[in-house]
Amino acid sequence: MSKELQNPKITPESQHVSLTPYVVGFVLSLVFTFIPYQLVVNEILTGNMLLAAIIGCAMIQLVIQVVFFLHLGREKKPRFNLVFLLGTIGIILVVVLGSIWIMNHLHHNMSATDVTDKVASDEAVRQIDGARVGTCAGVGTNHKIELKNDSVTPLRVEAKQCDTITFSNKGDATREIRFGTQADPETYAGESGETIRARRNKIFTLTELGTHAFYDPINNTVSGYFTVKR
Amino acid sequence: MVNEHIAESHEEAAMDRVGFGFWVYLMTDLLMFAVLFAVFAVLRDATHGGPSGQELFKLPFVLTETLILLTSSFTAGIGMLAAHRGIKSQVLTWFGLTFCLGLAFLGMELYEFAEFIHEGHTWQSNASLSSFFTLVGTHGLHITSGLLWMGTALVFIWKRGLNAPLVRKLTLLSLFWHFLDIVWIFIFTVVYLMAFV
Repeated sequence: MSKELQNPKITPESQHVSLTPYVVGFVLSLVFTFIPYQLVVNEILTGNMLLAAIIGCAMIQLVIQVVFFLHLGREKKPRFNLVFLLGTIGIILVVVLGSIWIMNHLHHNMSATDVTDKVASDEAVRQIDGARVGTCAGVGTNHKIELKNDSVTPLRVEAKQCDTITFSNKGDATREIRFGTQADPETYAGESGETIRARRNKIFTLTELGTHAFYDPINNTVSGYFTVKR
Repeated sequence: MVNEHIAESHEEAAMDRVGFGFWVYLMTDLLMFAVLFAVFAVLRDATHGGPSGQELFKLPFVLTETLILLTSSFTAGIGMLAAHRGIKSQVLTWFGLTFCLGLAFLGMELYEFAEFIHEGHTWQSNASLSSFFTLVGTHGLHITSGLLWMGTALVFIWKRGLNAPLVRKLTLLSLFWHFLDIVWIFIFTVVYLMAFV
């Protein structure tokens, strides 16, 4: 008590903040740090659900810290600080989301393989790398092949020309899908294959006729066939 | 009596202006971080065949960093309470603790950088790592300047005791420190956790 009287009037009593908001803010911050950490480490959610959950936790943390640590709610009117914060958040959303949106589209439309594929389909190119690929006006049925760690389901797909196949990597490891067999690699519609990261998909349009095999050079148990008929 | 009251409200108004000016600085600083976040978001996959964040980052290490910074934000808050009540010894203790935690955080950040560089993953390796080092490094620079500010403020308080101008400086410093904590929460989420999605 005597120490407090040493310097009794540093801040008006009315502006005093109590300990409670700091403790509450600290505990809540800890909780919303551990939740996303556990979600990621224990793989409780995956894909977009996980993404939404951890971004949601970060947003909740933002609000917690602004309210309990920065005491923005205690500001006197007019609340210029709050207005400035909201304006800044608006600009941030435009800059960050806009950049991601635009750059993703550029990436989709301008990477070398995408440009080749687009030209091939737009201009009815019938050969790529010397293989007859044919063209498709519109696509047919979609066939799904699931790659789950060491298994492939179904092992064999029967399809018509211009159908599509989706290779869906449900496992945790990256898969290298190559056409042909380990002993005799070949190209399908001018492509030798594709890398499919964990939990990603890759779609192929079936332009070339005949029976074709595919395999993963890293893991021999991953292989299968598809037959394309007219 | 009336004059005293006017003088006080003048002083308060001046403090409000300084506080608002500092808040505007924080918001513009936030904009700079937002641009660095945008760059990182766009370039994160541009690893030029190098390892992705998933292979590089060690989450328990980063969680420890986060907890240290979070705790330092809390101790800075407690220090501020003591400052408003004018208790010098508690201010020195709590801000001293904040300073040590900040130093530990900075050390861990630099250790992580040194480890990456030692393994051959530098800011020159690929666009992804360039944006990583720029974003996290900029935060580290802010922490460094915060520590310098805190260190000098503590020496002043220790030598001259608490007075109103010093408490105002501490108020702005603690705002800055909480702000850096918030930016780190987003680095923790966007850079580290999202690498594992």
